[in-house]
Order: sequence, then C-alpha cells, then structure tokens
Amino acid sequence: MNVTCNDRDRIFEDGTLAEWAVLEAHAATCPLCAEELGAWTSLSFAAQELRDYTESPALWPRIERALAEEAERKTLRAESRGWFSFFRNIPLGWQTAAAGAFVLVLTIFAGWFYLHPPRNGQPGDQSLLSSKVLKEVESAETTYVQAIDKLAAEAKPQLDNPATALLANYHEKLLVLDSAIADLRAQAGMNPSNAQLRHQLLAMYQEKQHTLEEVLETKQ
Amino acid sequence: MGTMGLALPWKARISSMPRERGTRVEPSEHFAGGPSPAVVNALSEDAALAAACRSGDLRAYERLYAMHGARMKNLARNVLGNPIDAEDAVQETFLKVQRSIASFRGQSSFLTWTYRILINTCYDARRSRLRKKEVANDDSEETPRHEPRTPGAHPALRMALERALAKLTQHQRDVFLLYEVEGFRHAEIARMLEMTEAASKNTLFQAKKNLRQMLEPPRSSAAEAR
Repeated sequence: MNVTCNDRDRIFEDGTLAEWAVLEAHAATCPLCAEELGAWTSLSFAAQELRDYTESPALWPRIERALAEEAERKTLRAESRGWFSFFRNIPLGWQTAAAGAFVLVLTIFAGWFYLHPPRNGQPGDQSLLSSKVLKEVESAETTYVQAIDKLAAEAKPQLDNPATALLANYHEKLLVLDSAIADLRAQAGMNPSNAQLRHQLLAMYQEKQHTLEEVLETKQ
Repeated sequence: MGTMGLALPWKARISSMPRERGTRVEPSEHFAGGPSPAVVNALSEDAALAAACRSGDLRAYERLYAMHGARMKNLARNVLGNPIDAEDAVQETFLKVQRSIASFRGQSSFLTWTYRILINTCYDARRSRLRKKEVANDDSEETPRHEPRTPGAHPALRMALERALAKLTQHQRDVFLLYEVEGFRHAEIARMLEMTEAASKNTLFQAKKNLRQMLEPPRSSAAEAR
C-alpha cells in the first residue's frame, strides 16, 4: 500500500489501522505530514485533559432519593387509577355499551326529575302540576269537553246554515277557537304538567262555551 | 515524530503520545467477522441492566450509576461548563430513564439510550439557560462557562482546549467530547446524536481540523518554540 500527502485527510477521517501505519511510515520522510500527524494525535492526547472522573459522594444519595420519591409518586398514581383498571380489561364494544347505558340511565333520571320535580316549600308555585293533580285536571277537562260537545251538537243546525250575518260570525269564531283548542291540546299532550297551558286551554273552552250559549240564545 | 505535537499559543508544547494512544481506529468498523465474546457479554449485561431498571429495582440504577455516573457527569460538565448544572443533568437523566424505561424497546443498547437522554437533557438545560439570559436582556452569546476543576497534568492545555471547544459548532463539540474524551465508538455516537456513522466521522474530522487551527501558534511563536 502506498500513501501520499493527498491521502492524509482521508486517513485522518476514516483510515484503517493499515493505512495509519503506512501514513506514519510516510511521515518519517515527509516533514509536513509528520507535523500534521503529530498535531492530530496531540489533540487526542489533549482531550484526555478534559476527562475528570473524580467521585461526587453526594450525587448518588441525591439521585437515589429522587428516584425513590418518583417511584412512590408512580405507585400512588397507579393506585388512584386502580379503581378504573377493571374497565380497561373490558372489550371496547362492551365499554361503549356500558357508556351508552349509563347515558340512558342519566337521561331517564333527568326526565323523571323534570316530570316529578321535588317540592321546595313554595305552595304558590303551580306552574308544573303533580301527577295526582294532573289526573284530576284531565278528568275534569274530559267531563267539561263532553258538556261543551253537547252544546255544540245542539247549536250545529244553526251554525251549519247561518240565517244571519251574526250567526255566520259566530261560526267563524268557533272554527278559530276549535283550531286554537286543537293546538293547545297538542302542546299539552307533549307537556301535560304545564299548568299554564292548562289555563289557556280552559280559557279557550270557556270562550267556546260562551259563544255556543250565545248561538243558542239567538235561537230562542 | 516523537517530538512533534500540538504547539499552544503561549509557547507551551505537548509531545504527542504514541499513535496507538492518541488516535483510535475502530477494528469493528473495518474488519469483518461476528461480534467478539466480550461484545456479546457486554450486550447481555446491558440487557440485564435494562430489565432490572424496568422492574423498578433501585439497585440496578445504583449499578448504572457506579458504572457510568462519573462518565456521565464528566460529559455533562464538558457540555454545560460547570459541575452544578452537570450534576442536575445527571439526576434528571436518571429520573427520565426511570419514567420512560417502559417505552425502551431495546432497539439500541440501554447505555446508548441513556447517554442520548443525557445529551438531550444537557441541550434542554443549555436552552433553558439561554432563555433565562434572554429574559435578563443579556445579549452575550451562549457558550459554556468552564469553572475550575481538579487540576490535570496540563491545566493550561485544558483551558486552551475548553476555550477552543466553545467556539466549535454544537455537533462538532459533542462528537469530539464523546469520541476523544469519553471514548465512545462512532457507531454509538451516531445512535446517540441520531446521525450516520459517516457523519460522525466527518464531524469529528471537521472538529479536529478547526481545533488544530485555533490552537495552532502564530508563525513567529511556532518558530521560537522550535
């Protein structure tokens, strides 16, 4: 193997043992390469001056304490997560189903509380009706509606063939009232405990009752 | 060649050591063949140490410290410039190893992985120090400030080298410290610094070339020294 001055940098960067040996032999006859080789190896020697492996007696106890504290914290975190650990072993599908069931139960409870709110010591607050009162209201309403229907049946011949403009107006008014009553009944059906709706419905029925009475009075 | 050496600016002169001591050539990188029994033994020790650390055995960490604590601290000190920051970095490295040992998959050696954590911890510490400096409106460039250490055989040479190292790029400095000071192989350095072996060799070459230029005496003083 033969090396020249041009090979020096390549050997410095990535030379094999054999190449280094040849470069050394070359340096014996080449002052420039000898100086470069000397400087190069001197750097490696000088680097040893930066090697200070003296013991630090306080360092390991400090690290050990920190490691022990970290391990303790890790154990505490694991314990706090332990309660939920059984959940991680359940397949994902079951986890989803369980979460869905939980949401469903929550919804049912929320709905139940919405429909059956706890009494909070305010007897004057009748905006929502309890189930017992609601049944009584619905029962009375049914009887009342039946009575009004009887009145309507009696007034029907006059209204179907109104003899006067007044009767025609009554007919129009009753159609509007029936439409409003149908809307309110639909709303009350969705929200039966709403006392406000019941009041409005009652007012409509009363208006219909008075109108029918007036129609029947015109006959007499 | 025995008298040839690195001449320093203040006329001090260090005789070069025999090449075998001064320059390492890594046989494993040049000669074919399977790993030697010593290498196999070291690998199995490394795996055993990793397994013991993973099991949470504090004695395993103590063993790791006994084997590498001083070397780790020396590396951190050379990167950060003072022993207090170096000790903090070593402690933080042990904590990071403990926290993330479960994610260690053995793709590199446990020790290489540990040193990579140490180097990253040193980078973080350096960045944090730089941020603090910026907050304090100090415009001076961030270079490690080297505090006095145990006097060596050539304190003047060490100081000159520290000053010159501070002027190298971060990568050049790290590769030089890992290879020439701590004695790691290029394959290990490549894994620690996430570069190729060829890049590690080239970076070392550039680092030494730059150091050579910085430590080269002016022509006149060089002539006087001769």
